[in-house]
Amino acid sequence: MVPLYGIKCAVNLITTHFGDLVAKVCECLLRKGPLTLQATVRFTELTSSQVKNCLLVLIQHNCVQAFVLEQSVEHGDAAKANTQYIALFDNIIHRWRFNKFLTIVSQNLDKQCVDLLEALLQHGRLTLKQMSDRAKSVQNEGDDVILDAVQEAVIKLLNAHFIERCPASEPVITNPTKQEVSARKRAAKSAKIFEEQETLEQRVVEAAAPSEALRFLLVAQTEPAADGGKDETNSSIVTPGEKRKRDALESETEYGAADEQVVLWRVNFEEFIRRLRHKACVENVKTRLDDGAVTVLKAMLEATRSTEKKVKTDNSVPLSLNSIYEEVIKSEEGRNITFDRVRAALIQLSCPPFVIAANESYSIDFKKIIELAQNEEVESIVLKRYGRDAYRMFRLLSNSGHLLETDKIADATFVEKKETPKILYKLWKDDYLQMEKLQVTGAKRLSQFLLWKVNKNILREHVLNEMFHAALNLVQRVAFELEPEKEMLNIPRDKLLNRQRKVRLLLESSHMKLDDAIMLFHDF
Amino acid sequence: MGVSTGPQWRITKLHVQLSACQRLDAKGTLRPTLISLFTSSQPPIKTAHQSPPPCSVRATHLLPSSCRQATKSRMSAKRKRPGPASDSVVTEHEKTVHEVIRSKKDMGASQWEMKREINVADNIITKCIKSLLSKNLIKEVKSIQSRGRKHYMSAEFEPSSEITGGAWYVEGSLDTEYINVLKEQCWRKIYGMKVATLEGIADALKRSNVSQIELSKQQVEEIVKALVLDNQVMEVKSTGTGEFASIPVGKVCYKCIGKRGYGGEPKLGALASIPCGACPQISRCTPDGIISPNTCVYYQKWLEF
Repeated sequence: MVPLYGIKCAVNLITTHFGDLVAKVCECLLRKGPLTLQATVRFTELTSSQVKNCLLVLIQHNCVQAFVLEQSVEHGDAAKANTQYIALFDNIIHRWRFNKFLTIVSQNLDKQCVDLLEALLQHGRLTLKQMSDRAKSVQNEGDDVILDAVQEAVIKLLNAHFIERCPASEPVITNPTKQEVSARKRAAKSAKIFEEQETLEQRVVEAAAPSEALRFLLVAQTEPAADGGKDETNSSIVTPGEKRKRDALESETEYGAADEQVVLWRVNFEEFIRRLRHKACVENVKTRLDDGAVTVLKAMLEATRSTEKKVKTDNSVPLSLNSIYEEVIKSEEGRNITFDRVRAALIQLSCPPFVIAANESYSIDFKKIIELAQNEEVESIVLKRYGRDAYRMFRLLSNSGHLLETDKIADATFVEKKETPKILYKLWKDDYLQMEKLQVTGAKRLSQFLLWKVNKNILREHVLNEMFHAALNLVQRVAFELEPEKEMLNIPRDKLLNRQRKVRLLLESSHMKLDDAIMLFHDF
Repeated sequence: MGVSTGPQWRITKLHVQLSACQRLDAKGTLRPTLISLFTSSQPPIKTAHQSPPPCSVRATHLLPSSCRQATKSRMSAKRKRPGPASDSVVTEHEKTVHEVIRSKKDMGASQWEMKREINVADNIITKCIKSLLSKNLIKEVKSIQSRGRKHYMSAEFEPSSEITGGAWYVEGSLDTEYINVLKEQCWRKIYGMKVATLEGIADALKRSNVSQIELSKQQVEEIVKALVLDNQVMEVKSTGTGEFASIPVGKVCYKCIGKRGYGGEPKLGALASIPCGACPQISRCTPDGIISPNTCVYYQKWLEF
């Protein structure tokens, strides 16, 4: 479920980038959920052509996905199908992070790739021809040279999974019948498996996505290589002659070679979020352990990144000590690290358990690292807002995971018994704690006890909402500080400009830091 | 509820004070070390010409000798066991009041509670209490549950931990000075040992004589767990290898966290480092409201360069 202030942030972003009309349509979809064109027109009170244009802009920039929802046939009824539009909240919020994505590419690839990525971020989706035309307008080179350079950059970006083929425009998804839903629930119950219910958004995105074989594949209109073999460094490129060897491609009639010129490419946000997640893990471990342990962790991340199926993976693929060592010595920091040092670092990383050792293999426990980072973030808020005694109480309740009585909390945290309920009440009033009353009938009288608990799932949502709220505040304050009216105040212009520059720097850097925390709670 | 205490703590405060003085006489050479430990983190100790502070049990030995003498004589006066009453005649009302108080055993009773149980006028109860106190049949005790009201207990009982608050309470208040000193010393022991078990920490504290009163293993555990809650120390399980080589596998032990010294603040989070993170009014803040980022005084202060 999207937090309330998350929606406000998304709407603010769309307003800033595309104007009020587009923002109105986007807000309608975010608040009401997937809608048909007619329903969107009705709710926004705009004309049909206005809504259509807004939807086109949002689709172009990957903020909305169209899909056809086919109602299952039951009792001889005819199947109903209609095109609906769903807002992709995550992709909208990623628009804050374009600079972070560009930084990642600049650290890994050349300037040509950075320019190409910037173009895709700016325009949402581009064909190969559009990318070349854009490069031609900027550079003063021959057409063939530019096309080759663009193609080379595209291949590099594809190999790194930074860009991907755009999804299908209107995938069809079916609502399961009541019997299918019951059967699925019974099966899960008997297997005692907790199945996280897939949201409609997830189903739509999955249905729209191209197959893994095609997603990062560029089919080039070139002759096969003179040596007769495939160039192994260009795994993202395949010549038409080789297509027949790949069974998966034969069934993809939608993406035949003839359509390659109109294939749209876009930024693969998933890969960037994965890289940022890894970066966050490294940063968190850095605050606790030494450089050797950090270098080993980085090497493990590098070695296992391409095997991750989804961003929110709980554990990395297990690696042997030898594989880890081979990866460590590839990097500049790890060149001089000995085998024993790697082993010692892995022991360090097991406490707290950032790395799990099992059967002489080691895998990174992402869930643990992210959880610790989330706990630190929340505890920091409690310490700042409510003080040290509240901090201890919160940590006690958070670590215990169950209800604790007031006096027990007072004893464990060394806080006066009279003061403890006041502090707990403040935390409860602001939704940081849950409270239950317990009445016990004694010999002669009724005693009432208050029990307290941290519910991590509810708290996570609450804190995330506060973070979005704070992010919106920062954005709003920047706009306020840069208002032209400020120039009319009796402040010397150079002083005003200097102050505006400092204020903007502080607010924007705070916003980016806060965005890292938002990703910690929402995307990682 | 409350801290459970072993039999060794079910003694009078008086007895402990006496023991502290006696042990100090025998171990006078330790005093300078203890003073330095205390004075480094404590306000200056009052000198003889000032009235002796209401001293905690543990701190009596730090007073100058003249004060200690005065304190000792006070303690001696308190130490007197209830002997034969000077006036052995106990009136009917006094008997009733005494019975009510005695029935509460180690929980005692306040005047208000007595009034609820016996249908006697307030002034009579007050008179009875005064008389019973003078005859040493009852005593006044401090209760952490009702600090404003006086609490009375029959002389033969010792107040339970629910009344006193437990081992860490003195005169109805938490002995925060003592607790903070113990916490710092515990942290230093753990820092020195790199990885420490509870037994190791308890031994180290005992050997260094940080506290005149011997701490039980449970008390040491309470202090160490408080350090864990302060995020100064983390609880881990021994793997039996590396730094845990001398500790059995699976045994709970403790290590100092990260690279900061004692008392160092944990890393400031992203939300906590901006005004909104500390703001108690964030739930009322709206883009166009009275409380908004444009009108916020915390923002104003934050952006003053």
